[in-house]
Amino acid sequence: MPARNHAQWTAKPPLANDEWIDSRIYSDQEIFEQENERIFKKVWVPVCHESELSKPYDFRTMSIANEPIIVCRGPDNQVRAFLNVCPHRGMLIERRPSGSFLEGQPSGNPKRITCMFHAWQFDMKGNCVYVAREKEGYQDRLCKEEVGLRRLRCEVKFGGFVWVTLDDNPAVSLEDWAGKAFTCLQKSLDAEPLEVFHYHKAIINTNYKLWHDTNSEFYHDFMHYHNRVTGFNDAYFARKNEAFEHGHVVVGTFEVNYQNYEGFESRAALSFPHLPPNQWYMIDMFPGYNFNLRGSALRCDIVTPLGPDKVMIEFRGLGLKRDTPEERQTRINHHNSIWGPFGRNLHEDLIGVAGQGTTMRPGTESRRILHGRQENQTIHDENGMRHYYDEWGRWMNIMPNNPDQTWSERSTASAAVAAAE
Amino acid sequence: MSWTRICKTADVAPNSVKKIWIAGGIPVLVVNYGSGFRVVPPVCPHMEEPLEESGIVASCVLTCTKHLWAWNLMTLEKQGETEKPLKCYEVKEENGELMAFVDGELLYDFDKDDDMDDDAFFKS
Ligand code: FES
Ligand code: FES
Ligand SMILES: [Fe+2]
Repeated sequence: MPARNHAQWTAKPPLANDEWIDSRIYSDQEIFEQENERIFKKVWVPVCHESELSKPYDFRTMSIANEPIIVCRGPDNQVRAFLNVCPHRGMLIERRPSGSFLEGQPSGNPKRITCMFHAWQFDMKGNCVYVAREKEGYQDRLCKEEVGLRRLRCEVKFGGFVWVTLDDNPAVSLEDWAGKAFTCLQKSLDAEPLEVFHYHKAIINTNYKLWHDTNSEFYHDFMHYHNRVTGFNDAYFARKNEAFEHGHVVVGTFEVNYQNYEGFESRAALSFPHLPPNQWYMIDMFPGYNFNLRGSALRCDIVTPLGPDKVMIEFRGLGLKRDTPEERQTRINHHNSIWGPFGRNLHEDLIGVAGQGTTMRPGTESRRILHGRQENQTIHDENGMRHYYDEWGRWMNIMPNNPDQTWSERSTASAAVAAAE
Repeated sequence: MSWTRICKTADVAPNSVKKIWIAGGIPVLVVNYGSGFRVVPPVCPHMEEPLEESGIVASCVLTCTKHLWAWNLMTLEKQGETEKPLKCYEVKEENGELMAFVDGELLYDFDKDDDMDDDAFFKS
C-alpha cells in the first residue's frame, strides 16, 4: 500500500461500522465529561480490597467521577462508603489516602471522622455526632440528625473487592451486572480470604479506554518480546475472548509452561484454590477493570479517568491471607516478575498506550482506529474490543466511529436496512 | 468480681488523673481531687476522648478539655452543658491502697443502633 494523501488518510476504512473507532472518543473533553456523567456516576466501581481496611476504624479515600469517596470499616466490621465531603461547607473531610480513625484527630475524637475545618464529627455509619456550638448557632432550626454524611451503595464481593456506586438505584444489581463474568474465577477467589500484597499506581497521558483496549487483546504480544519468544504455542493461540453481558470479556484459560520462560519456575504449588495448576484466567470488565489470575497471583487494575488524555491506573497484587512468609515472598516474586513496575510486561504495556496518547492528544485531527481483526474469537481477534464499544455506545448514546451520531440513530438505521433487505 | 486493688493512693498526685490497667484487663482512670478519689472509665462519656489526656482536675471538678463537659467529683453533679453522667466504680482506701468494687467493665453506649439494609436505606 502506497502512502496516502490527506483525503485517503481520512477516508472511511473498508471495514464494518463496529470494526473501527473515531479517535475523538479518546481525546474530546466534552465526551470525557459525558463519560463521567453517563458511565462512571452510574456504574459499580471496585474501589479497593477489603484487606486494605482490615481492622475496625480503618479507612481509605479515593474518587469516582471526580467525587471524593471515603470507605471505612465500622466496629461491626461492615465496610461502608460515603462521599468524603463535609455537609457543613463542603470541605474535603479526610485528606489522608488511608489510615485509622482509632486515634482522634487534633480537633476530633477517637473513632470519629472529623472535618478539621469547624470540627464537625461523624461515626462509622455516617451519623453526624458532633456539631461545634450546635445550639448556640442553629438554636432548634437544624440538628445533627439532619446533617449526616452522604452514604453510598457499597458491597464487598467477588474475592473481597469493595464495590461502590454513586447511583442509589443502579439499573442492575452488582450480582447481575458482574456475576456471570466472574463465574470462571468465583470459586478460586471466594474459597478463602485474599490479601493485597502489592500496590502501585501509574498516571499516564492517555485515554482510559486505550488502556482497557490493551487489556482486551493479546495481539500486542508482538510488543512483549519475551512473551513472544517463550510463550507462543498452539494452546496459547487457541484461547478465546468470550463476551459477557454488560460489556465484559473473559479470556479463557490454558496451561502456562513457565519452564519455557527463562529464569521462571512452575507455579503449580501455589495455585489459587480450585484452580488447576498453572492456569490463567483474565476478566476485563466494562468500563475499565481487569482481574487477572496467573495461577499463584491475582492482579487487579482499575482505571480512574482524569481527563480525556490522562488516566490513573491502580495496580494491586493479591495472594491468600493465610500465606506463610515464604509462600508470600514467592507469590510476590511471581507477581512482580510479570506485572511489577519492572516486570516483563507492564512497562511495555504502558509505553504502548502512552504512544497512542501522544498521537491522540486533544486538538489532533480525528483518526480511524482499527478494531477489525476477526480470528474466530481467539486472542488475536479484536472481538473483545468490539464488544466493549458496543456497550460504551449504548451507555453514552454515541456512535464510537462517528461521535456526531447517536447510538439510537444507528440502531434505527440498521433496523431500517434490515427491514428493506 | 469484687473489691479490687487499683494502686497505692500515693501513686496519683492530688488534682491529677492516671490511667491504670487492673485485673481482668480492664482500663480505669484514677482521679485524685484532693479530698478523695474517683475511679471511672478512662474515656469521656461525650465522645470517647481518652481522659488521661483531655481530663483536668481543679476545685473538685473534672473537666474534659475537648468540649468542656465537666462533673463535680464530690457530688457527681453535671456542670454547664454536660449531658451525660460520669459512671463510677465504688471506691475505698485501705492502708494506703486504693480499692474499687469492680463487677465487670463500666462502658458508655456510643453506637447508634440504626442500621437499615441497603435497599431500605437507599429507596427510602
Ligand atoms: S466544612 Fe466541615 S465543619 Fe465546616
Ligand atoms: S469528648 Fe469530652 S467533652 Fe467532648
Ligand atoms: Fe500486555
